[in-house]
Amino acid sequence: MNPLKKIFALLEYDFSDAGKFAKLAPLFDATKTFFFLPSPKNKQGPFIRDHLDLKRYMSFVIISLLPVLFFGIYNTGYQSGLARGETLGFWSAFLSGAWVVLPIIIVSYAVGFFWEILFAAIRRHPISEGFLVTGLLFPLTLPPTIPLWQVAMGISFGVVIGKEIFGGTGRNILNPALTARAFVFFSYPVTMSGNIWVAGANAVDGITGATALGITAEGGSSLTSVLSEQGFTLSNLFFGFVPGSIGETSALCCLIGAVFLMITRIGNYRIILGGLAGLAITAILFYFLPGTKGTWAAAGPLYHLCAGGFLFGISFMATDPVSAPGTNPGRWIFGFLIGFLTVILRVANPAFAEGVMLAILFMNVFAPLLDHLVMKHRISKRIPNV
Amino acid sequence: MLAQTLCGKVSKIYCIDIQKRFGRLYFLPESTSKTGRSNCINTEIMNHMEKITLSKGFTLKLAGMPDTSVIQLPRPATVGVSARDIAHIRPKLLVKENDSVKTGQPLFCDKRDTSIQYVSPGTGTVKKIVFGKRRRLLEVVVALEGLDDFIQFDPVSASHLNQVPKQDLIHRLKQGGLWQTLRQLPARDTADSETAPPLIIVCLNGNDIFSPHPALVLQDNIRQFEFGLSVLKQFSNRVIVAARTNSLKLLAPVKHLITHEVPDIYPAWEPGAILYHIKKQAKQNAAWYINVQGLVRMAQFLETGRYPVDTMVTVTKGNDKKPHMITRQGSPIRLLAGSFPLSSLITTGQFNGRKVDPDSHLGFFENTLNIIPDAPADEMFGFIRPGMDKPTMSKAFLSTLLDRKVQMDCTMHGEERACINCSYCENICPVDLMPSFIMKALVSDDIEEALELGLMDCCRCGLCSFTCPSKIELTYILSQGMDLHHKDKQG
Repeated sequence: MNPLKKIFALLEYDFSDAGKFAKLAPLFDATKTFFFLPSPKNKQGPFIRDHLDLKRYMSFVIISLLPVLFFGIYNTGYQSGLARGETLGFWSAFLSGAWVVLPIIIVSYAVGFFWEILFAAIRRHPISEGFLVTGLLFPLTLPPTIPLWQVAMGISFGVVIGKEIFGGTGRNILNPALTARAFVFFSYPVTMSGNIWVAGANAVDGITGATALGITAEGGSSLTSVLSEQGFTLSNLFFGFVPGSIGETSALCCLIGAVFLMITRIGNYRIILGGLAGLAITAILFYFLPGTKGTWAAAGPLYHLCAGGFLFGISFMATDPVSAPGTNPGRWIFGFLIGFLTVILRVANPAFAEGVMLAILFMNVFAPLLDHLVMKHRISKRIPNV
Repeated sequence: MLAQTLCGKVSKIYCIDIQKRFGRLYFLPESTSKTGRSNCINTEIMNHMEKITLSKGFTLKLAGMPDTSVIQLPRPATVGVSARDIAHIRPKLLVKENDSVKTGQPLFCDKRDTSIQYVSPGTGTVKKIVFGKRRRLLEVVVALEGLDDFIQFDPVSASHLNQVPKQDLIHRLKQGGLWQTLRQLPARDTADSETAPPLIIVCLNGNDIFSPHPALVLQDNIRQFEFGLSVLKQFSNRVIVAARTNSLKLLAPVKHLITHEVPDIYPAWEPGAILYHIKKQAKQNAAWYINVQGLVRMAQFLETGRYPVDTMVTVTKGNDKKPHMITRQGSPIRLLAGSFPLSSLITTGQFNGRKVDPDSHLGFFENTLNIIPDAPADEMFGFIRPGMDKPTMSKAFLSTLLDRKVQMDCTMHGEERACINCSYCENICPVDLMPSFIMKALVSDDIEEALELGLMDCCRCGLCSFTCPSKIELTYILSQGMDLHHKDKQG
């Protein structure tokens, strides 16, 4: 017998209803099923079942996040090196980035799991795999300079208010990771905007750390040239060697993740493609508006695509199946409107430099309405059978 | 080969008669006429087979396809008439233990309509009456003794069919214990003889992917099949005969009688799925359907006046290619299944059958047994392995890149979780339902919304439960909803 299995068999009793740790049964169950995939015999038909389960499903989202995560760690170290005026090698950049990023991820997972286990123990249901994704998505949307206590506050709000009060995974209306980010964004604006994007930058004078979206061109020069002067060339934005939130800087890594999600059908391609279309079309419309030179309205679709967190949001946040619509036409509209609203918020709302977070949360709220309309339409097409 | 010899048996006159009767069936929309015509070059009568297109369904290749050879099994010591596979029945026993019964003698009837009887498929004594929880009748076991002593009814020949009044025909079939082979959609209850069905669907392929091949069922019964079709014409002027694309090759002798070709995607040949794709008006929802074996047995009974005791079954087991077996209706499971590992599950349809106890007997409507192996114990890090050997309809395992026959096991591969709205169920549903939304309506007791969303169109194929990554028993919940609604309607 597998030695690990032996340990679980020994502990089984203590975590059963009669045992001394009965309250922690969900924790035991989650740990055990992480190591050993349970596969009980079917009691109802059909008597054969697909191999895909929620553990596989959610772990594929984690896999799709790995390029973004590793690049984010590297870039954090690289940017902080640049801020100190040194160009770090790959490993030293990666290690110094990990020194900053890993604590944020660990705090996010630890605090989040505490709430998950608490609710699971009280409600006596198993811990859902959904949190594995939330716990990683949230830190990737944060600036590397964020204090750890704010990470803890954010993930607590995201898990408890964003998800658990609705009944847990599958019943939430908003994306928990984005709810957590919105909470931090509005509660601690100082640490979420301004010159905070480069870890270690505050130690050095004269470094501006604004993200690309915070920049506007003055005095008749075009936006793209000002962006280039600040280091935000299109290629830098595409590959991600710019300051920004941990996971969002590299458009390339986000695209790799998005393609992986679409190929494996874990993320719904309708949302991603709809979002890209919405962003591109709206950006082009603004591009041709007269008198917008020097603002983000004149940036054109490629800059809108590569700058900021749009690709991260549409690939990993908007594709969360729970908070997105459950009907296919609804998903197209949902994605399209996220792209549309992202550009609108970036261009027309001076208060928020970045629009994708609010666009997704806003569309999350409208997802049930989209579903309702699609269902009414489909019902009208069916030959009634009552 | 089979085709030529059997085709000769069909008399010219009879063919013309069939054409006259079925003439109206061969109506074909413009769009499909090309494919329809190309399919019927070698048939005697001009025939337009309508093609049903359906893209959603189960597309994996399962191992276990039975061989097309046929063997006759030895006579079993006991036969059973099971009440477990009879939908909606409220059985009322008509015999006691140790009673001696003749072949064709009623063992129990349906309390809701006592004229619908389930009869003994053999002569002997009632050995045991098995009850389940709350004294629910499970099955009546008859120990066979001596030669068959049939209860004899007046035979009806094909040529005299027109002279028999419809009511008389119904009465005979009910007495003979074969009326119930006609089922009524959408609840799949016994056909209501008081009503005239808008259409009758004859399903040449059974409930399982590996149900008996219709060509083998019809091999020696083409005349009976045609007779059966003309019996159905007495009840409805629209009779649809549907067959899977890959069974058409061997079905050449009866090709002129087939009106609809369905693709080889499970469950395209299910009556509910066929009806969904051909219906034009709401009143067609109450269509009747009958399985080819039931139809042939119905005709055999009318022709001979004796209860037909033999039936054809298939057994699927791993990579075995077992022959088709002719055996007595209600044979013991152990006789049919042979040897099997104790931990495996035996079902009468991998997707939509029931789990059978190895010590019980095959049901009246069942003609397939699947021996589905158990899986090895909990696999370490099972959720993140590449999964070359894990068949899936999703794209989340490497097995999806391989095009080979797959062997499924009888386990869940995960645990139940909350619905995450992933639409996997919608993407596989052959009748365009949104099972997750219907499930949510049903569990929140909103039957109205469930019905609006098309609950009663559900063909109970089991694919939503098969594919659900949250392992929610969608099919079970939807079936319960349908059954409850049917019960409510009956009052």
